[in-house]
Amino acid sequence: MKTFSRRWLIAPLAALLTSVALAAAPPGLLVLPEFDALAKKATESVNISLDPALLGLAAGFLDSSDPQDASAKQLITGLKGIYVRSYTFDADFAYPAAQVDAVRAQLAPPAWQRLVQANSSKDHTHVDIYVCADHGVAQGLAIIASEPREFTIVNIVGAIDLAKLHQLEGKFGIPKISVPDSGGGKDDKGK
Amino acid sequence: MSDDRHDDMEIDPLERQLRAALKPRDPPEGFAAGVMARIAAEPAGPRRARHSPAVAGWVGFGLAASVVLSVLLAHQWQVRRIEQGREARRQLLEALRVTDEKLDLTYRVVNAQPRAALPQHSGA
Amino acid sequence: MSGDEECTRGDLLTRALGGERAAFAALVRCHQRAVYSLALRMLSDRHAAEDLAQDVFLQLYRNLATVSSESHLTFWLRKVTLHRAIDRLRREPRYEVAALADAELPASEAPAGDPILDRRLRQLLDELPPAARAVVLLRYQEDLDPADIARTLRMPVNTVKSHLKRSLAQLRERITSTAWALT
Repeated sequence: MKTFSRRWLIAPLAALLTSVALAAAPPGLLVLPEFDALAKKATESVNISLDPALLGLAAGFLDSSDPQDASAKQLITGLKGIYVRSYTFDADFAYPAAQVDAVRAQLAPPAWQRLVQANSSKDHTHVDIYVCADHGVAQGLAIIASEPREFTIVNIVGAIDLAKLHQLEGKFGIPKISVPDSGGGKDDKGK
Repeated sequence: MSDDRHDDMEIDPLERQLRAALKPRDPPEGFAAGVMARIAAEPAGPRRARHSPAVAGWVGFGLAASVVLSVLLAHQWQVRRIEQGREARRQLLEALRVTDEKLDLTYRVVNAQPRAALPQHSGA
Repeated sequence: MSGDEECTRGDLLTRALGGERAAFAALVRCHQRAVYSLALRMLSDRHAAEDLAQDVFLQLYRNLATVSSESHLTFWLRKVTLHRAIDRLRREPRYEVAALADAELPASEAPAGDPILDRRLRQLLDELPPAARAVVLLRYQEDLDPADIARTLRMPVNTVKSHLKRSLAQLRERITSTAWALT
């Protein structure tokens, strides 16, 4: 009885708190759940919340003489936060779609616009990239990727430079992929 | 990765082939002699672990102790701050790595499709 | 005393720490294969690999007092070799094609597997970014698990796993396209 009445209260209370949080959130910032229950089921999880203070602290420890650190330093200039939730499972679709959809529900116009929607029915992979624009200036970016055994939400808050974000490709240990019609780089081998 | 997936990967032919291709190789003849020749040119032997000399002295013991204590506290704070900074940096690089990975995934999915129409964005 | 017997003697490190150069030379002989191979597979250049491997042992000689055990020594050698190789690769332009004369020569002993495939795999390994290449080498040449690789390279474990996953996918894709090209 006690459990039932408690559960009865929790869902509407959570919805109320979320809407209050959303109303108070600066532009570009998503309200991301902690996904505790999901993290327990996952074989790997990444949970990163870097607010402006932590971003500033991290920037102070980036080594400008290291190419990777230098790229990171450039990219985070002007950013107000980076938030990542990423979970990997050992079975297909072990994560409830409803939880991912709850985050997607925040990415509605007019504040958010979808830049890219990429679906692969063969691989059951879906990636959406949204940008939050305030008076024509990008104030945030959201990437939601769902794969059979992994789902990831990335939220970058602040004046994100999309051109610099594109330069990320190949910098953080991910090989450059030659894109057709992109004038593939002379440093691509094996092509 | 769970242990079961790790075991599954062990019978992957590519992994077997990688192990075969990456069998360690001997350096050229005379390698060790070359190292020792360079060492012979070094001025001194391998440095032994040194022990700090004991601090002796009775004069100003109380003052010295409080100076040491405040230096230790400041050092501890600094060490903690450095640890926090390094952890923040590590988390930042990990966040950017995940972002990079998902952007890469997007490119691959988009480019695997023949001229798939992308939703028009009104510009950000 | 045979090479293997020499390497299994438990007192080599202690004697080297005591200043015995013969003991240090024995340590070099015991570990030179692993160090040189890591350097070679990272740099894809025999001369550069030999040079780097010698530097690593010289650095070991200067810092031997900081090594506390045989297992620490192995860890230290792998860590320093790979960090030096990665630093060197970062200073040089990416994807520089090594001159054929400096590239890894076929093994002098009769190869057990497919030598053409082995060589192709090593070439494809060169195309991986330095950090990913180091992860693959520690996994498949040194047989380390992801946690040990993470400690050696000072990298989060998830990053190691990501490098392994992505690198294998890339190698698999390129080996498959090679097979198609050859048929």
